Amino acid sequence: MGKNKEKKNVITGNPLVKTIGTQKIVVVLVIILLALFFCIMSPSFRKYSTVVSFFDYSYYVSFMAIGVTFALITGGVDLSIGTGMIACGLFGGYLITQKGMPVVVGIIASIALGLLFGLLNALLIAVMDLPPFIGSLGTMMVARGLGSILTGGLSITWPSSNSPQGWFRKIFKIHIGNIDFPIGVVFVVLAVIIMSVILNKSRPGRYIIAIGSNKEAAKLSGINVVRWQSLAYVISGLFTGVAGIAFSAIFQSIAPGTGAGVELDAIAGAIIGGTSMTGGYGTVVGTLLGVFVMSLLKTGLPYIGLQANWQQIITGIVLIVAVLIDVIKIVKAKRARSIEIG
Amino acid sequence: MDKVILTMQGIDKSFPGVHALEHVNLEIRKGEVHALVGENGAGKSTLMKVLTGIYTKDEGTIIYEGREVEFSNTREAQDAGIMIVHQELNMLNHLTVAKNIFIGREFMSGKLIDDKRMNLEAEKLFDLLNIKIDPTEKMGDLTVGKQQMCEIAKAISHDAKIIIFDEPTAALTESEVEELFKIIRDLREKQLGIVYISHRMDEIKEITDRVTIMRDGAYVGTLNTEESTKDDIISRMVGHVIYEEPKSVSNVAPNAPIVLKVNNLNAGKMVRNVSFELHKGEILGFSGLMGAGRTETARALFGADPKESGDVFVNGEKVEIRNPKDAVKHGIGYLSEDRKQFGIITEKSVSVNSTMASLENYMKGIFINKKKEKKIAQQYVESLNTKTPSVDQLVVNLSGGNQQKVVIAKWLVRDCDILIFDEPTRGIDVGAKNEIYQLMNKLVESGKSIIMISSEIAEILRMSDRIITMCEGRKTGEISISEATQEKIMQAATLRN
Amino acid sequence: MEKIKNNVFVKKAGFNKLVLACVLLLMYIIFAILSPSFLSYNRILSALNYAYFLGFLALGVTFVIATGGIDFSIGPVMFCAALISGNLLTQSGIPLAACLIISLLIGTVFGVLNGYLVAYWNLPSFITSMASMMIAKGVGSVFTKTQSVSWPQKGQANGGFRVFVKVTTDNGTQIPTGLLFLLLFAMVCAIILNKTKAGRYILCLGSNREAVRLSGVDVKKWEMLAYVISGTMAGVAAIAYVGAYTTVQPGLGDIFNNEAIAGCVMGGTSMTGGIASVGGTIIGVMVIGLLQEGILAMGFQKDWQYVLTGLIVVIAVYVDVRSRKRKI
Repeated sequence: MGKNKEKKNVITGNPLVKTIGTQKIVVVLVIILLALFFCIMSPSFRKYSTVVSFFDYSYYVSFMAIGVTFALITGGVDLSIGTGMIACGLFGGYLITQKGMPVVVGIIASIALGLLFGLLNALLIAVMDLPPFIGSLGTMMVARGLGSILTGGLSITWPSSNSPQGWFRKIFKIHIGNIDFPIGVVFVVLAVIIMSVILNKSRPGRYIIAIGSNKEAAKLSGINVVRWQSLAYVISGLFTGVAGIAFSAIFQSIAPGTGAGVELDAIAGAIIGGTSMTGGYGTVVGTLLGVFVMSLLKTGLPYIGLQANWQQIITGIVLIVAVLIDVIKIVKAKRARSIEIG
Repeated sequence: MDKVILTMQGIDKSFPGVHALEHVNLEIRKGEVHALVGENGAGKSTLMKVLTGIYTKDEGTIIYEGREVEFSNTREAQDAGIMIVHQELNMLNHLTVAKNIFIGREFMSGKLIDDKRMNLEAEKLFDLLNIKIDPTEKMGDLTVGKQQMCEIAKAISHDAKIIIFDEPTAALTESEVEELFKIIRDLREKQLGIVYISHRMDEIKEITDRVTIMRDGAYVGTLNTEESTKDDIISRMVGHVIYEEPKSVSNVAPNAPIVLKVNNLNAGKMVRNVSFELHKGEILGFSGLMGAGRTETARALFGADPKESGDVFVNGEKVEIRNPKDAVKHGIGYLSEDRKQFGIITEKSVSVNSTMASLENYMKGIFINKKKEKKIAQQYVESLNTKTPSVDQLVVNLSGGNQQKVVIAKWLVRDCDILIFDEPTRGIDVGAKNEIYQLMNKLVESGKSIIMISSEIAEILRMSDRIITMCEGRKTGEISISEATQEKIMQAATLRN
Repeated sequence: MEKIKNNVFVKKAGFNKLVLACVLLLMYIIFAILSPSFLSYNRILSALNYAYFLGFLALGVTFVIATGGIDFSIGPVMFCAALISGNLLTQSGIPLAACLIISLLIGTVFGVLNGYLVAYWNLPSFITSMASMMIAKGVGSVFTKTQSVSWPQKGQANGGFRVFVKVTTDNGTQIPTGLLFLLLFAMVCAIILNKTKAGRYILCLGSNREAVRLSGVDVKKWEMLAYVISGTMAGVAAIAYVGAYTTVQPGLGDIFNNEAIAGCVMGGTSMTGGIASVGGTIIGVMVIGLLQEGILAMGFQKDWQYVLTGLIVVIAVYVDVRSRKRKI
């Protein structure tokens, strides 16, 4: 028994491991193992097109997940990101296709609506002090209805890649010869880097973590809890808008009334990546890795015969397991602290 | 006299029903470690809360650095240089030490936080205080002792001129206490004024220059530590004010059987190898200061908290108590010290609360026999003299004393033979207190046995047949009522191993 | 105002419920003025159709909210139950009675899953129930291979279950038997909540879990029971749904979660736990049913329903949270 303990400490005590974080390393291993599993199980998985569809799915979920990470770190949650994304995409697309606006306006509109949703969440949760899941649920419902009302229940299609306005699709995917290049990865990585810096090296980010760690102590230290908690939800809303653009760029059309359920993929990704539901801890990089796990499952499961509906089951199970691990981690930490001999 | 940095004079503060501070004086000099002692409820923390702006005084003056001041919140006090290191540290456990210390005042390099510089500054602070802590460690990973030192470092970085330590050594190891004292001596050299609130006489003798004693909200006096003995201090803490004559002799029959026996109970650091026995018809008083571990012992015994080891015997038979349900099944009832949080179900009626522990006995088939329920509730309302318009009244609308009676009724309805009363008269007026005392006597006369946890020595002496004292998780004394005195109890309550 | 509040009749019926009933009446009058079709019996039946299954969902989730938790899986669980038992009925020839029972049992299974995770593992109820919501959506869809399922019509074989919803007499009048069943279930739920040990413990643990635990009660067991009830009621709701609407499509159902919850909170059940009203829930569900019908009748898009329900939930919870804060 003692020998095992020592062995563990050699690994977790290693400075490189400490900086990166054990959970992230485990997640990377999981990704590698999953990828290997699918490759072995299905020869058709090993095609390049799989990589492309992997990224197709990852873009919008990554953006949503990056945003919701901030809400989770404050100890809250944002359930409106799924329907919000669709609403933003619909709004932007509506302006382009029905009102004849240039694509740039559509992009700005999408982000603006996302910010609006973020502000609504901030009002409900940070100012009115509603439980986060109820507050964001309200926004989720409003978003779901709004998008649909706007377009009269019709689906919206942003300009296709052939049309002159279709340049924005090239942000995420370039078609050279017969091959698709998923260059959108660059933007995702850029977003991860920027948000990571904001989270860890800026005052707002620091205070958001503080609020999630101990709201009372943060208040006593002079931090304006309402302001920074609001910011977390505004960031989440902002990325909802960005996700809307990514979604529109990858897929042909956006149907109103959809989107409910995608938020769980993003939240599951964040939790898998190490963000704690109780707040105070979370990394943007970890979130991205967690999203990759979800994307891998989504992309790979069909190859072993499990279609889309199976993915819902898997997402549900993965989410439960992720939260369970989170809860166990917290209980273990509490117990360790109380046993220390005073 | 320009050595004096703080003078609190004639401080008076009342709350509804309680005169917390009565013309209290306190004088702190620069370069002094000044102890503030007193029993639980003496008013020490209230006085400090008045000083740091959490409470507003009703009367009196506070003169700080030659000017009269009144702080309206902790921030103001902090900015002026008065800081408290609390007993219960409120830290941001997920952030590193350096980040905690400089929260809200981060060093910037352009638009970004300069963590490197913060770590350096933190190291400088630690060097200044001769502390060896890595500023890049997560606060939650540090021991309580080290967390406390970070709190001190934080105070210094705020340019503190007065630091108040509230029971600082409660959670420290011997070596950590030594380190703390080194720091305190160092701070004293730097001409800070230190207020040291503690009940540990040895430490007070070792580190402090003067001692101010409070009792029942009043200022008793200030002594020079070097010239005083522990007894000098203790005797002033307890005074000679008692409600009534203490019980002179135990009421327990000499051959009374042992109804409860606890052997080597261990539950974390607050319950360490506690063993004791309870006789039939006995009131066993559990005395000690706050944080002694009495509630924790009771909860571990009752199954409310998990225990690491220990055997419990009820009427000679070994029993397994893993949760409150088991305990209640074996006839043990527990009246927790915080009735609002753990005792009453506020939005429900008196009758619902009364039968909470015995609902199986008030059923008619699968339905609750509400008539029978109300009848028994009414019965106890009468016998306990609970003031309520009816048994349908919501408990939240009753006064503290009457709420307590409802909780007591709950365990009486269950007909428990062994009752653990944790601070039964806390927050209750004198009249109701006496009623509860009479009730307790009636209960033991009828053959029940009671463990009474109380921080009021007068109450312990009045009610107990035998007294057990605890200090920091260990049982430090056991004495029969005929030999018990306030001093003996207080000495055992402050006895560290 | 105080006089009204202190009136004996008002106190017995509950101030909240009366206000809500007045709102219901007012809504009906307004709708009738704006669209005379509301005065027709058919309109009322149509609104009632919606209120039936929603009512069962809301009755079940009332128990969960009473413990201070939430159940977001009820809509999809209802659909999952309807899909699987409907599939067994139409494709595998399992007898009707068995299928109805299976529908209930499927709901119970999800209730056990939710209850176990929340009560014994202390997982947050909203995330747990959302996860099981996903699982329910997926299971239903997998079972029927993403096909929708249509339950038998009234005249067909096995169509007998329709009597649970509506009975048409020989001269053409339709009797909403569903309403009777809903009220019956509501009475049973009210009795459970107010007169049995289960209800007593569930309400009290929602108010102060620790105090109940320290009184020697096995709170985990009773907390889990609340979720089991919620799940089982979703199974009952499935029968009401297919009785009124015949066809179930896989993958949907979440809107009903929110509407059921909105109905509960409007009716006086508090999200912080400890206070619940079956009568209020029923009236609240009627309001939602009428609202839904009104939106349809006016020609508005169904999506306004989403927006409105969202607003109702937020406002109702806000009012609830504020009034609880003031009391304690």
